[in-house]
Amino acid sequence: MRPQHWLYTIPLRLRSLFRRHDLEQELNEELQFHLEQKIAQGIAKGLSLEEARYAAMRSMGGLEQRKEETRDAWGIHWLTDFFDDVRYAIRSLRRTPGLTAFVVITLALGIGMTSATFSMVDALIFRPYPVPHPGSVVTLVSTTHDSNFDAFSYREYLDIRSKTNSYAGVIAYADMQPVGFTAEPATTPRIKGGMLVSGNYFQVLGVEPRLGRGFREDEDQEPGRDAVVVLGPDFWNHEFASDPAILGKTVRLDGTEFTVIGVAPDSFPGLLIFGHPDFYVPLAMARVFSTNLQKNFFEDRDDRELNIKARLKPGTTQPQARNELAVLAKNFEREYPKVNRNRGAAVYTQFEARTREDLNWKFGVIFVILGLAVLLVACTNVAGLLLSRARARTREIAVRLAIGAGRFRLIRLLLTESLILASLGGLAGIAIGSGIVEWFQSKQNIIFATELPVAIPFRMDARVLLASLALAALSAILCGLAPALQSSRADLVNGLKSGDVDLPGRKQLWGRNLLVVAQVATSLMLLTASFLMARSFQRSLLDDAGFAKDHLLMTSFDPRLVQYNATQSQQFYKLLAERVRQVPGVQSVALTQNIPLGTDDFDALAFVPDHFQMPRDRENFNSTMDTVDEGYFDTMRIPILRGRAFRASDTSDAPRVAVVNEQFAKHYWPNANAVGQHLHLESSTGELVEIVGVSQTIKTQNASERAVDFVYLPLAQHPVTRLVLMLRSSGDPLQLVQPVKDVVRTLDANLPLLHTMAYEEYYLNEAVRGPGIAIDLVGAMGAVGLLMAVAGLYGLVAYNVSRRTREIGIRMALGAATSDVLRMVMGKGLVLVAFGTVLGLAMGFAVEQLMNSMLFNAGGVDLVAYFIVVPSMFLVTMLAAYVPARRASRIAPTQALRYE
Amino acid sequence: MSKPSDLLQGTLDLLLLKILALQPMNGWAISLRLKQISGDVLQVSDGSLYPALHKLEQEGWITAEWKPSENNRRAKFYSLTRLGRRHLEKEAANWGRLSAAISNVVRLEEA
Repeated sequence: MRPQHWLYTIPLRLRSLFRRHDLEQELNEELQFHLEQKIAQGIAKGLSLEEARYAAMRSMGGLEQRKEETRDAWGIHWLTDFFDDVRYAIRSLRRTPGLTAFVVITLALGIGMTSATFSMVDALIFRPYPVPHPGSVVTLVSTTHDSNFDAFSYREYLDIRSKTNSYAGVIAYADMQPVGFTAEPATTPRIKGGMLVSGNYFQVLGVEPRLGRGFREDEDQEPGRDAVVVLGPDFWNHEFASDPAILGKTVRLDGTEFTVIGVAPDSFPGLLIFGHPDFYVPLAMARVFSTNLQKNFFEDRDDRELNIKARLKPGTTQPQARNELAVLAKNFEREYPKVNRNRGAAVYTQFEARTREDLNWKFGVIFVILGLAVLLVACTNVAGLLLSRARARTREIAVRLAIGAGRFRLIRLLLTESLILASLGGLAGIAIGSGIVEWFQSKQNIIFATELPVAIPFRMDARVLLASLALAALSAILCGLAPALQSSRADLVNGLKSGDVDLPGRKQLWGRNLLVVAQVATSLMLLTASFLMARSFQRSLLDDAGFAKDHLLMTSFDPRLVQYNATQSQQFYKLLAERVRQVPGVQSVALTQNIPLGTDDFDALAFVPDHFQMPRDRENFNSTMDTVDEGYFDTMRIPILRGRAFRASDTSDAPRVAVVNEQFAKHYWPNANAVGQHLHLESSTGELVEIVGVSQTIKTQNASERAVDFVYLPLAQHPVTRLVLMLRSSGDPLQLVQPVKDVVRTLDANLPLLHTMAYEEYYLNEAVRGPGIAIDLVGAMGAVGLLMAVAGLYGLVAYNVSRRTREIGIRMALGAATSDVLRMVMGKGLVLVAFGTVLGLAMGFAVEQLMNSMLFNAGGVDLVAYFIVVPSMFLVTMLAAYVPARRASRIAPTQALRYE
Repeated sequence: MSKPSDLLQGTLDLLLLKILALQPMNGWAISLRLKQISGDVLQVSDGSLYPALHKLEQEGWITAEWKPSENNRRAKFYSLTRLGRRHLEKEAANWGRLSAAISNVVRLEEA
């Protein structure tokens, strides 16, 4: 039929659909009219009223059948049938609201977990670059023996640009880096995320700035000449309140003035997965932002800081580009053997690049597999539940088959039921998935402890929603098809007779038994693990960290951002400490390379104790270390147990000294006083330092660690450029922020303060809330596991009850008591739960051993955890078996036997 | 009792369209007209009339309207649409070709 005809008839179909009631009435009236005319005609021919009516009816040939045929002619019966099915399914689901809710929740958890994890994988791998024609953008990488994702140097980038033919354009950009930013000359700079990009960056990507323009090629040619900046959309919005008059204004970046020439569009938050650069500057301005004064960015072929992407010319394939680049890499190797030995190059598609660049996606994929596993288990459990329902309806189905319902029609009816369940589950699952994604978003500041503009890229967008709906449809088929097929295959005669058709053999139940055992065991293990983690974590928090966390303000400095050399840096810190000490409210001041319980690892120190014969296979020992100034122990309130702390007199000219913690002292001089002993740094011939003090052992890397060896070296004897300033205040530490900023501005108006916050707040984020996320996650998985186990067990016991209804009836008729029936039905569930518990306990112990050896200082077995988790687990699972068992025990013998 | 399948496939549709092409009619009148013009040769049961009419309506070839009948009762009157007229012409031509071909064949056998 021609398409136009379809167009014409669709409104007619819709009319019949929505005006079905009217149509029905009209049909009746129409037929009635016909009959009356016929009867009148019959009477006119001389028949009696009765005869005439009879003849009229006969001429119609079955009024109801004709009506049915006419309805078929309306062309909507498949749809109205569907609506009938839906109505029927909803009615039958509403008859068992508890079961329905349970099934929906189970499916929702499976779908929700899968869609949330899919949103992660989508963000990490699949989501296309936010540029026009993202498919033609490829990533060029330098490769070595150890790395297949290395960067290029500026010189190499220029060569690639000029010596390749595969691309319509080649762009380069450095990693996003911290930049001190200020819009007003008089204010202290704040840290923002800036990105160096090549002059053709926006033009090749096809990104049209929403305001002003992108860079011109000539703005990226003369090093240091064109100080221009393009702002990112979010940054423009937050920092300048989307002020359109921003163009032409200047901002100060790491002490240099830049002119704003454009604003990137909202659609382009950048090419990175996590980071959204606040602004872009041309590569030619690289020197302003360089923190490595030893290298010359523009000349050194081994200063590899640039990522390269390129747009393939139409008609050029990735293999062609790859071959071309490989040849170029060979040439590099020949021309610059010193810096390019064994160095190749490769061209990656977006997928290849994303899966090589960052390995987080692997966790994403593992999570998706976990989510799918949960969904699969959920579907299996739901199928089990539906199967037990379907058995209870065997008779009803047999009656339907007997009066002529087609098998297909019946399968459709049953599938409609699971489709409704899955749709509800899908909707709730999407809600759960959004909840999980939102939960992650809310933890963003804890997961990324950085001042750079990074964001968790997971979101429930159209792609993820579509995937979730597909999952819902899939699970409808998964959990509905088996019960539907089985019940429609029922043996008619037996079904009508007894409603007790034996469908699956005993063997088939084995799989479900195993599944229940596995679910009980896994959820027990997870719950135990999360409980153990939470408890030992709680305990370790109660333990004293060994220093005072309150009334401390922390702020860090990196003078390399404003190109200080080593002497300038030292001078800066000296003046800073002196002047900050004068600020009212400051009790004491300390400078340290690193802070305890922070994100950064402490450095390792290699040493040999003096007069110590090292074993032949070892050159030195290792300890963690920190470089601190003379105010550190006082400010952090770390007690000195023996000897002394550092003094201002421990200068670079004075004898070399060190302070060790008690753990270190006990470790190396268990029977002697460590004070007065000497250490060689690096090796047995290295610089000799005297241990002048022993400090109390504090927790350094995480709140639940065991005591570790630790060495403190004086800052004056071991200068460091990047330092943290710690202030002990008499009042609220945040009151000191402005005074400290003022001091820094008098020293250098262009130097930004990094990570300025109350130490206690930082500590809570790093040491408490971070591990809290892990504990929450494991606990949630355990809870989901428990729910699944409950669903599985309930379904299994309910199924058994429905199988044995007649048997139970006979037993009760013969005098079995309610308790006997309960025992009989629950016995099997009890065995399964017992198996699962034993297995789960074994796994729980193993996990505890593992955790104790890796993370937690709690030795031995945490019996309280088992005493709480195991019985509650047992109780919940037994309840799942008890509910259907109780129903069985209430079967009236007369009713059960009437099935005969 | 004759069923629609006794008629050649689609023939009833053609007959109905043709009858309605002359003037709008209600179902009863159509059944009378059918008997009148085809005599006893084509026996169309009253019952099979309505499914056929509704099918034509769904195809958009005829359209219906409630109007008072001769004895002032409300009745459903069917009339041909433009689409239906075009369809009728096409089908009538087809029928002409088909019946001509068949009569040719039949005559050949007789000769």
